[in-house]
Amino acid sequence: MTARELTIRATMLGAVAAIMPMTASADAMSDARAVLDAHRAAPDFAPLGEPFDAAACMADKSVFSIPVTMAIPFNVELQKAMSRAAADVGFKYTTWENQGASDSWIQGVNQAIAQDYSLVDVAGGLNPEMLAPQLREAKEAGLAVTTTHLYDESQEQADFVDASAKVDYRRAGEILAAWAFVETEGKPNVLIIGSDDVLPSLPFVEQIRQSLSEYCPDCEQQYLNVPVNEWATRIQSGTQSALLANPGINYILPIYDSMTQFVTPALRIAGANDVGMASYNGTPFVLDMVREGTVQMDIGESLGWAGYAAVDAQMRVLCGLEVPESLGIPLLIFDKDNAETAGVPADFDSGYGDAHVAGYRKLWGLEG
Amino acid sequence: MSIAETTRPRRLPAFVAKREVERFALLLAWLVLFLTFGALLPDTFLTWRTVSSMLGSQAVLVVLALAILVPLTSGDFDLSAASTLVFAAMFLAVSDVTWGWGIGWSVAAALTIGALIGAVNAFFVLYFRIHSLIVTLGLGTFLNGMTLWISDSRTIAGVSMQLVELVVIKRLLGVPLAFYYGLAVAIVMWWALEYTIAGRKLLFVGRGREVARLNGVSVNRVRGASFVLSGLLAALAGVLYAGMTGSADPTSGLSLLLPAFAAAFLGATAIYPGRFNPIGTLVGVYFLITGITGLTMLGADAFVQSLFYGGALIVAVSLSQLVRRRQPQNFG
Repeated sequence: MTARELTIRATMLGAVAAIMPMTASADAMSDARAVLDAHRAAPDFAPLGEPFDAAACMADKSVFSIPVTMAIPFNVELQKAMSRAAADVGFKYTTWENQGASDSWIQGVNQAIAQDYSLVDVAGGLNPEMLAPQLREAKEAGLAVTTTHLYDESQEQADFVDASAKVDYRRAGEILAAWAFVETEGKPNVLIIGSDDVLPSLPFVEQIRQSLSEYCPDCEQQYLNVPVNEWATRIQSGTQSALLANPGINYILPIYDSMTQFVTPALRIAGANDVGMASYNGTPFVLDMVREGTVQMDIGESLGWAGYAAVDAQMRVLCGLEVPESLGIPLLIFDKDNAETAGVPADFDSGYGDAHVAGYRKLWGLEG
Repeated sequence: MSIAETTRPRRLPAFVAKREVERFALLLAWLVLFLTFGALLPDTFLTWRTVSSMLGSQAVLVVLALAILVPLTSGDFDLSAASTLVFAAMFLAVSDVTWGWGIGWSVAAALTIGALIGAVNAFFVLYFRIHSLIVTLGLGTFLNGMTLWISDSRTIAGVSMQLVELVVIKRLLGVPLAFYYGLAVAIVMWWALEYTIAGRKLLFVGRGREVARLNGVSVNRVRGASFVLSGLLAALAGVLYAGMTGSADPTSGLSLLLPAFAAAFLGATAIYPGRFNPIGTLVGVYFLITGITGLTMLGADAFVQSLFYGGALIVAVSLSQLVRRRQPQNFG
């Protein structure tokens, strides 16, 4: 190889090396945009299981659902949707009204056993491990045990649980990471706020961190863990401290959107007016904040859809059918362009369309 | 005679010095803490931005701690203070956002409700002679239910920006106005306790109700007024809370109750040791937030903050007791 050839090769390699990061960066940007684009439109219904005759199968069956607390609107709306779905099919469905005390959950399981229900469900974040002895007793008494809207799809359910209507928290994590990457034009310096004491937080946060690292291996990311019962006292001070210690932070991702109300004053006090914020859950007051511009994006999920999907899973357990691994609820991005579709003021179920109602009715043999 | 004359002056300064050390120990500890974090994080901690941020963020806790301090001084507990805060914040948000009263009327109504809640506490404690712990616990739980009822268990956002601006956006010397509201309440309360007859009566009632009564102090009136003032201040904390977040949610503010009591007890080891006092409480709140901010900036886990919070309270009160030769506690 001559000196000239060596020089040409070296020049070519240099040119390729110079182009490579740009190409990788461009790819990452288009990948991130593709993730976001997939969640911008009102979802279509895609059945996750085989059709079956729900009314015939459920004629003599009943379901008893214990939400973690009925003092949280999320659970109230989820339970309302599950009740609507059960009424549509025509079977007995009972919600155990409680305010989050463990003794009332225990009492709920005992009621379900005493009144010969066919299935006991723990819903909206209640970890079945906290009721393990009672739920094992229910199982021995012949009741099926399910969970609704608790586990991430990647998590194993407790061994005494028959089926779980799981949620794709990892997908929500991918969307949040993609959003921060795109909004900061490929230079995210992100503060993630989570609560490790909430069961699905670990895969959720792990996914955000992993996706961010894939998009941008050298970009900074920081994690602040605040237990749920300390949100009011620790999120604000923790966020302020993080912003002061690292003034380069340009995006904040509180993984549950009720956290945003404590992040907002931290941004104001720290004078960080150009720092963006995106979150997950689709809670109405946060959707209002998106409309007003305080929060830039919130990922929502239709609780009406979630309720129907949860009842679908419960019925499949009782009818001896295979249960889908996930609730299959589509995630929808709400930003300044479509926040109004969630209602003014926003509610839990607007903006998602109602494709799920007709879809599930058809799947259950209630209409042709 | 001559011996007495020579020994007295030697003992007095030692006693005075010890008392002064005790008075300012927490303040010194705060300074040491500040300088330690400053040395560890010179570029980020030792900035006016950090200081203003710490000062501006604690107004709600300061006012709530001052609210419970009033009945504590007269020998009563107000466990309903955080519930009053949350209810007042929620009432303000609902009346402003949902009912469209306008922010001025909403704030006035929230403060009036706070005073009324205090009056209800006072009525049950004084007329039925029930211990304040029981009455305020019951009324607090009742208020929690009322809050869930009027809010439909939802967080209400969209509180008038006028209030948000007056609380957290407008600044003086770079510090949000919220800090000055808390500071003003603390100074007024200190002045009232030290230099007004009503304030001295409150202290007398707390030190010994029977002695105060025999000296012609209307104990029931003083205790009743302390509950009303506590309710009013707790509602003011609620107004600041709504102004701070621009919203009101039905539960999270309840978690401020224990930190408020921690600040009040920590404050009772400083400035006027053995006595609940507003300036000591102010120092207590900012001592704790300095520690929490420094630890967070150093990247400490969430549990370390709780260790610091609880540990600092126990250590401070224990050291204060050692200085006082472990005399039985008689706060009031």
